[in-house]
Parts: sequence; structure tokens; C-alpha cells
Amino acid sequence: MIICTNCQYKNVSGAVFCAECGAQLDGVETLVTQAITDEQIEEELKKKSSRPEPVAAPSNSWISLHLMDSGKILPLASRNEFTLGRLSEGQPIMPDIDLTPYQAYASGVSRLHAVVKREDNRVAVMDLGSSNGTYVNGRRLNPHTEESLSHGDIVALGKLKIQILLRNI
Amino acid sequence: MTSPQKDYYAVLGVARDASQEEIKRAYFSAAQKLHPDKNKAAGETELFLGVQQAYEALSNPQRRAQYDATLQPEKKPVLPYQHRIFCSRPSLMHMDEPQMLYVMLELETPEGARQTAAPPLNVCLVLDRSTSMQGEKMDIVKASAIQVLRNLRPQDILSVVAFSDRAEVIIPASYQQDRPRLEAKVQMIQASGATEMFQGLELGAKEVIRSLDSKRVNHIILLTDGHTYGDEEECLALSSKLAERGIGISCMGIGREWNDVFLDELSTRTGGSTAFIAQPSDIKRLLLEKFNALAQTFAEDITLEFSPSTGVDLAYAFRLQPDPSPIALESQLHLGSILQDASTSVLFEYIIRPEAVKSDSLTVLNGTLKVSIASHPFPVLPLRIHLKRPISSSLEVEPPPPKIVQALSRLMLYRMQERARKEVEDGNIDTATRQLQTLASNLLAQGERNLAQTILLEVSNLQQKSTLSEDGSKKIKYGTRALFLDSSKKEFVS
Repeated sequence: MIICTNCQYKNVSGAVFCAECGAQLDGVETLVTQAITDEQIEEELKKKSSRPEPVAAPSNSWISLHLMDSGKILPLASRNEFTLGRLSEGQPIMPDIDLTPYQAYASGVSRLHAVVKREDNRVAVMDLGSSNGTYVNGRRLNPHTEESLSHGDIVALGKLKIQILLRNI
Repeated sequence: MTSPQKDYYAVLGVARDASQEEIKRAYFSAAQKLHPDKNKAAGETELFLGVQQAYEALSNPQRRAQYDATLQPEKKPVLPYQHRIFCSRPSLMHMDEPQMLYVMLELETPEGARQTAAPPLNVCLVLDRSTSMQGEKMDIVKASAIQVLRNLRPQDILSVVAFSDRAEVIIPASYQQDRPRLEAKVQMIQASGATEMFQGLELGAKEVIRSLDSKRVNHIILLTDGHTYGDEEECLALSSKLAERGIGISCMGIGREWNDVFLDELSTRTGGSTAFIAQPSDIKRLLLEKFNALAQTFAEDITLEFSPSTGVDLAYAFRLQPDPSPIALESQLHLGSILQDASTSVLFEYIIRPEAVKSDSLTVLNGTLKVSIASHPFPVLPLRIHLKRPISSSLEVEPPPPKIVQALSRLMLYRMQERARKEVEDGNIDTATRQLQTLASNLLAQGERNLAQTILLEVSNLQQKSTLSEDGSKKIKYGTRALFLDSSKKEFVS
């Protein structure tokens, strides 16, 4: 069987998409046990610790969000503070940035999930009490506490990974 | 004998390794079509005699062996259509649990044959004229039927049947000469009475059968806005019977009150499909499009017959194009038709159980594909499809062909909707709600905002009333089906 990494549903081997959540499954069969040498483990660890090269940010914005799953880059300008979340039918909550087109619902993004802001020469992110949490480089933030960001950091809203691209900071 | 010998196998339209049973069946169906009592077209009696002669030679095993000895070795048969097969995986694996394999079959009109003359039609319009049709719907249906009549080519045969709790032939099947008089007859149809679909279908079938001809596209188009009660089984049995004779059924459901599950089954048994007409104003355009598509037919009545093999289950079959629609799973699958300018593709999902992967290769599909081509003088030779996959113990890394991935990315949306409906039927409202929400977010991710909104609306409906609305469930079903169409055609359903 193949276990969907998105929703843990057990799909029949050979399935291409998860029958439960619709995510595309990777072709690797989880069933087969393989012997792994120490060298392989070290190499894997090295790969894990090195993070992806930041993509060049568009020029007219102070911050750009690089949505890592879709490869889309959202340049943000003109304001010093943006809330991130997803629009939802019949809810009065309106985030500044609607992440719905990027699988926000399936990734566990709350309606009002987090805020990124610029103060003087510092850029920070703050979790707004989301259900699935906000992570910076894999570490979960305490809600309502600011965390400084630097160029290339990876912020995860639930499972939605966003790389932060900064300019002139 | 010095004259070049006729190929008896080609005359009957069977392969050289055909079983006696297949030869017998091919003979009966050819004889039915060509018997001098029935057919008076020039040259058909000679064809009939040829068929007789071929059957006499091949039906007796001894004579057949003698004849086979005189045959030239078979040239690679040239099929009048093109076919391609893709598999999601190059090989299967030895394992103790079920595994899945997707197979895609693509059929196409060859480049050179795309300009051949469109086949003449033999179509019956079966119109619902029950009380519920009264008013705008009936008026538009009549106007649409009249437009169809005006668009007919001289070689087309059309009949019109109207039904409520009884059915009546409005225009009998024939070449339509005196159009103003026929238009007046259509104009006089009045809405009244209950809906008894079998009455209409049976009479429509009679009209089509009167002019049944393998050189024509033989088809019934049913327009209705309601449920039929108590005669569903009869309708389905009739549908199967018509499928055997190469007559297709397409249905068009108007508004929200009709039974989409039933009409889908009725049409898919023949390889046809059902369309959802949300607004009466769309009736005319969709009906005329249906006629255009029928006149574009290159090959019709594609059937795939296969012998089951142990441990291999065909779990699902879906026609991706044209007319995206699930395919009724029977021992003989009716796959629809091949249009002149577009390919036909069908996706099969196989579940392969552990007992089937013990050796080092597996025959997944051993079947025979048959088509009927109106412009083709002889029956088309059946195509044997023998799909075998090796079975390995190692891990495969090759990703599925992009075509299959692309098709599945849409099919999984359609099937999510199918599963959610099933959960609603079984009373699992929470599961259905979750599935519909997942479906909606997947659609949003693909930019299908309208359809996603419709689904989210249904979700709130579902939580209040514990059921889906008639209207919403149809919009979701036919909306996710329309995802397979080009973007230019999508607007119809939204």
C-alpha cells in the first residue's frame, strides 16, 4: 500500500492519486524494506540540513512569499503588515493574503493564520492562534509571539511551506 | 482454382483464430442484416450469398481445415482505425496485497479517413410531454425539434415520438420531404399526463429498428424532465437489447427533477451518455450539438469483450473523451464511438489480487475490440488485445505516462464526488461533508471557483438537511465530468 503523506490514507499500491484527499502520491512503494548503509544516512542528513537556494526576489517589494509546492512567488509591497489565511464561505474574516489557490484548505491553513510585518529593519512573523500552528525552519512558534525572519527562512502554515524572500534587509 | 480466392474470414469479419462460436455469431448477425427478405439494396443479395458460402466453409471444422491449408499466410491486418494502449506501470510486483494498474485505450480515425463523407443518420427523438413539461420547456423542446428537422440532410432518416403515460408516433421514420407539414405536427404536441418512459422508448426503438441499417448511425435521443416510476427495469432491459443491435441511446435531462442515476445507466449500457440541461434555454444548442456529433461519427458501437482472468478485477472504466462518462461494467463493455476529428480515450482501473502475481508475468486483459464503421463495406476485423505485464520483485521507479496522470488528476475529482454521494446515501453525513470539502479545495486549487462554490453551498445544505439538493448534486456530478472537456465547452454546466 501507499500511505498518503498528506492525509495518511492507505491507498492500494499502484494508485497515482490519493483516493481520500486527492493529493498526488509519489511512486515509491512503502512496503519494501531496504538495507541502508551509514554513508547513505549521512548523505541524506546532509541533504536535509542544507536548505534550498533562495530564488531571486522581484524588485519592487520588501518581501516575497515563495510558495514552495507550487513554485509561485507572491511579491508584497505598499504596506508594512499582511495577514495570511484563507477566505471561507459565509465568514466575515478577510485575510490580506488569501492562500486558497495554493491548497490552503488541504494543508491546514486557518482562516486567519499568521501575520508578517516590517518594523524598522526587522521582519517578523506571528502566529494568530491557528489550529495547526506556524513553523519557522521546522520549529513551532508560540502563538501571538513575534519571531524574526531572515532571507531564505522557511515558514510553514500547517503544512503549507513558504520561503521568505527579503530585499535590502 | 485460378481466380483469387475470397478470404472467408474477412467476409464474416472474424479473426483467423476465431472460435466456432464466434464464427456462428458473426454469421447470424451478417445474415440478419443482409437477408434478401429484409434488404433490397442493389448487390446485397450477392453479399448475402458470399456470407452463406463463407459460413458453409468455416462452420465445419474439417472443411475449415481444408480451406485454411489453401490460404495465403495472413498479411498483417490493416485496421481502418488507429489504436494505442498505455499502462500506468511497466511491470507488476510480487506482493501479498492487492495492487492497482491503470490502462488507457486510445482510438482514432486515421489521418486519411477524416474527410470521408459523414454517415447518414437514423435517429429517433423521444420527447417527454408529461404535464411537468408544460410551458416554456415544451415550447423550447418543440422549437428545437423543428430546428433539427430543418437541419437534416436529404439522406438522413428522422422519427419523432412523444410520450406521457402513453406514447405516440408524431413523425414516422422516413426521409423527411414535406417539412412544413411535419413542423406543424410537432407544433401540435401538447403537454399532459404522467411520465412513463418505457412507453416512449419502446415506440422510439420500433421506429429506429424499422430503418435499422449498419451503414447509418442508429440512435435514440431521449429528452425528459422527470422520473419514471415502476418501469425502470423494463427500460434497462430494452437498453441492453438495443445495445446488442448497435443502437445507441443518449439522454438529456432538463432541470432538476429527473433521475440522473437511472438515465446514466440507461445510456451507458449502449455506450451513449447523458447530458444535464440546467436551463431550458440551453436545450436547442445542446440538441443540435448532439446531432452534429452523431453526423461526425467515424466508427460506432465500439465494444470490448474480454475473458476474465483469476485475480484480475476491472474495478472502474471511464470514457475521458468524447462525452466524458463512466462505462457500465458488463462482460461486454460498450465504449461509445470514434468521431472523425477527435480521438476516443477510455481509462480502465484494474485491481490485481495477490493470487494473480505468483508467476513472472500476468495477462491483464485478453479481449476483443469490435467497431462498426458505416462507410466500410465489409465488417471490420475484430482486434485482439492481449495485454501482458511482467511481474518483478524489485521496486519500480518509472512514473506513469503523463497522459494517464493528467486523466487521473481529473478523474479523482469525479470519483470523490461519486463517493460523497454514496456516503450521503448511506447516511454518513460527516464523511460526505469532509469529502466534499476536500473536493472543493482541490477544485479551488485548480482555479474552478464556480464549481467549488456550488459544492460549498451543498455542504451547508447537507449539514442542515442531511441530504444533497437535486439541483446541486447534478451540478456537481456533471460539473466534475465537464472538467474533462476543453475550456471552451465548460460553460454549459456551470
